[in-house]
Amino acid sequence: MEHLIKDIITKLNLPGVTFADARITYTDSEGIRFMNGFLRDYGSSKASPALGVRVLINGCWGFAGSGDLSKASIDRVIKTAITNAKSGSGFIKDPVRFPMLPATIADYHFEPEIDPFLMDRAEKLEYLGRLASAIKPQGKIVHSFVAAQFQRQEKYYANSEGSYSHTTVYNTLPYMEVIAADGKQMQTRTWPGHMSAGRGGFELFYQQMFEENTERIIKEATELLDAPGIEEERADIIIGGGHLALQLHESVGHATEADRIFGMEISYAGKTFVKPAMLGSYQYGSEAVNIYSDSSDPRGMGYHPMDDEGVPGRRVDIIKDGILKDQQTSRHIAHLLGLEPSSNMKASFADDFPLVRMTNFCLAPGSGSLNELIESTEHGYLLDFTKTWSIDDNRNNFQFTTEIGYRIDGGKITGIVKEPTYFGITKDFWNACDKVCGEQEWKFHGTFHCGKGEPGQAMLLSHGVAPARFRNINVSVKI
Amino acid sequence: MDYLNYLASALAGQSGLKYELSSQNWSTDFLRFFHSQTNYNISKDKLSLSVGLWRGKKSYRFGIDDPNQDKIDLALRDALAIIDQLPEDPDFVDLETDLSIAPPRQLNNNIELIPLDTKTAILKELAEAAKPFDFEIYGTFICNYVQHRIVNSNGLDKSSSSSPIYLEVKAVHNQSQITVLETFGGDDFNRFDPQDFKARLLQKIAYCANPVVDVEPGYYDVILAPRCVAEYAQYLCWGMSAQAFDEHSSFFEDKLDKQVFPEWISITDDPRDPDLIGQDYGSNGHIYNPLKLIDRGVFKAFLCNNYYAHKTGLPKNGNTASCLSIATGDKTLDEMIGSVRRGLYISSLHYMNFINMKETSLTGLTRDGTFLIEDGKITRVVNSLRFTERIERIFNHVQALEDRGYTIPFSENYEEFDIESVKAPHALVKDFNISSSTHTI
Repeated sequence: MEHLIKDIITKLNLPGVTFADARITYTDSEGIRFMNGFLRDYGSSKASPALGVRVLINGCWGFAGSGDLSKASIDRVIKTAITNAKSGSGFIKDPVRFPMLPATIADYHFEPEIDPFLMDRAEKLEYLGRLASAIKPQGKIVHSFVAAQFQRQEKYYANSEGSYSHTTVYNTLPYMEVIAADGKQMQTRTWPGHMSAGRGGFELFYQQMFEENTERIIKEATELLDAPGIEEERADIIIGGGHLALQLHESVGHATEADRIFGMEISYAGKTFVKPAMLGSYQYGSEAVNIYSDSSDPRGMGYHPMDDEGVPGRRVDIIKDGILKDQQTSRHIAHLLGLEPSSNMKASFADDFPLVRMTNFCLAPGSGSLNELIESTEHGYLLDFTKTWSIDDNRNNFQFTTEIGYRIDGGKITGIVKEPTYFGITKDFWNACDKVCGEQEWKFHGTFHCGKGEPGQAMLLSHGVAPARFRNINVSVKI
Repeated sequence: MDYLNYLASALAGQSGLKYELSSQNWSTDFLRFFHSQTNYNISKDKLSLSVGLWRGKKSYRFGIDDPNQDKIDLALRDALAIIDQLPEDPDFVDLETDLSIAPPRQLNNNIELIPLDTKTAILKELAEAAKPFDFEIYGTFICNYVQHRIVNSNGLDKSSSSSPIYLEVKAVHNQSQITVLETFGGDDFNRFDPQDFKARLLQKIAYCANPVVDVEPGYYDVILAPRCVAEYAQYLCWGMSAQAFDEHSSFFEDKLDKQVFPEWISITDDPRDPDLIGQDYGSNGHIYNPLKLIDRGVFKAFLCNNYYAHKTGLPKNGNTASCLSIATGDKTLDEMIGSVRRGLYISSLHYMNFINMKETSLTGLTRDGTFLIEDGKITRVVNSLRFTERIERIFNHVQALEDRGYTIPFSENYEEFDIESVKAPHALVKDFNISSSTHTI
């Protein structure tokens, strides 16, 4: 395969081609879903192939992709990418340019503790079936799911600067959910929430303590049917790690993807309120807020030795002591902004065009435990387990609802509230953060479903966070 | 090689085995533009097979991309070894039995019909038209071509093709970032009128000459553009699925044949409407027939596939709400705007998500042109706004519908890229809940 992909680059060594790269991916995937205690879906796809060729001609990108890796198809893909670039360059005002990078060679192959594709199938299904039986309809629980998605992806990358990488990664998305209903209303509880995905194999089910939490989600979903809502206009809120990962994702992660500054995503994902002049001076958050992008951390799904345009993986401080410092960039955009490229260009599969994507986008830990943070809160709510999320076109106005809130009075949890909803403006919200918990509470959360680009791509990525407190947040939303 | 015939032959000798096989040959030609120039051009294609096997109540599925005989033989051998080891799904009864064939449709391959040069020529003309107003154009111009075939062990064997076109143009003001949107969607390029498209885009740009203001949260009379009405109807239909009914998360759970909306609200899932992107077959290859979902305010049917028909006892139709048509009313748009003393015109919606699906409560934002209406006239551009509402309340608060419908294309952007369309009129809705402002355009 190394020979094949380098041969493609050789064929692209043509007059007028100022940069070219090629990728090949082979992806294994498996999905299992139990519903109401019974196996409803079990499916797999093995070694699904994809090829993508990207060329820069006359300052215009041309791209072609295919699932067919035959010689004839490869030649057709090369020809189409070149034609697309040449035709598109007739509608160009500002040609794409960026500096050369030295060649990098990388080889990385992740080994999960329990390979989901090689483990004993009966053991896998027996474990998931046991979870499914534990949460099947009972009492006011009217529906339940247990689901697992496994992905293994092998990738080859080469470019016209001589860079080459060969990597293999494993990612897993474990999930369970119960629905409680009483004829009038419906409430849900999930475990461990919507940001449950991570780098690894079947061991994630054990690490995330699924069996230990089946009774909890049944009890909480049932109790939510009779729980009150939040009555106050404003309150202090502590956001748990799973949900804070999404808050970070939506209001900082996407906002600091610099392709949005230049309008490259206006037609679908949107813009950003961030402007180039803000770099180095904009008070994005309080001094407790330190946020970075780190594609060099192998614990997260965003790890890579080099991104999908040959930039070595690296850590970049996006927000330091509350001040906006840097952006997530491509080589082209970094050049426009006078920045070093941040190694954030990624495509879901080889036949997808690479875009500026979050990799491991993290909130740095502060100090102290979650218990200490609760104890130091006179009155407020601990919110976790995302139910609804929404943010505007500029990543400025957000509103989130979680499945459950835990009421805090006098530094203690005193009850639950249903569908707690809060909203705010990004800058105000992050400046209201007065405390981030420490290393002992910090861990990676992740998703398989970050949508961006057209044709759409669902990216797998991670967020390292610890629970954090935000003061005087608007929690009054009338529906 | 005919992969489905090969698979069917290989499975014919397997005693007690049922199967559902499908193939999809998908290609796209995708131009993305920004700042009135090309961002990138993408061409992609993929041939994929999907195989579902059932022995008794045990089932297993697998997919193969870029298939060949060796891959099929290997995957089939694995699947047959796996299936007997699996637990049963007691709710499975049988595969689809509907053998009806859809009437033939004339269809072009629009990837071939609309080459890149044609696309860029159209975009250049639009960019030139917007330039004097200091607007630039951003968006996508897409053509897909998809050939699909589905076969099952009950004798079902159906083939279909589609070639949707999707043109989305956002005109963005270089200083204020005020944005307006115009779209074309369909499978017949002859219905695209470039001069009419340009005129509609320029009309919207003209609205943006007004100053930008913010408005306070509260309840407003609003004119929802057809795109908004269409999107609310799509979200409403999630609760019309038999799956939602089965999961007790449907607003319509106990409302079959009951009056749920005013009698001027009718919604039909109509694949035969020539203004919409056609569809021959629905879930599991069931023929896609017109289906009344809301008839003069009365809820008439759940969207139900073969599996959930057996599980729930609901009548099977195979519909997927992919061809929604919302009935028109008797007012002109000018009459509707003219009737509003102080309210909003909302062009487009963004990032909607359910808060509670059973209650149809959701939140989302306005986008691409929100305007203040004062004394029956559009007077200001308004920053994008957040709403928190219940869709059932929105439809119950419809005061008037426009006397013409518009075809609105939507790109389905997760997983496989697809395009579908909805036909909807403008709607005047009272007491629409604006819950906060973004303070930005």
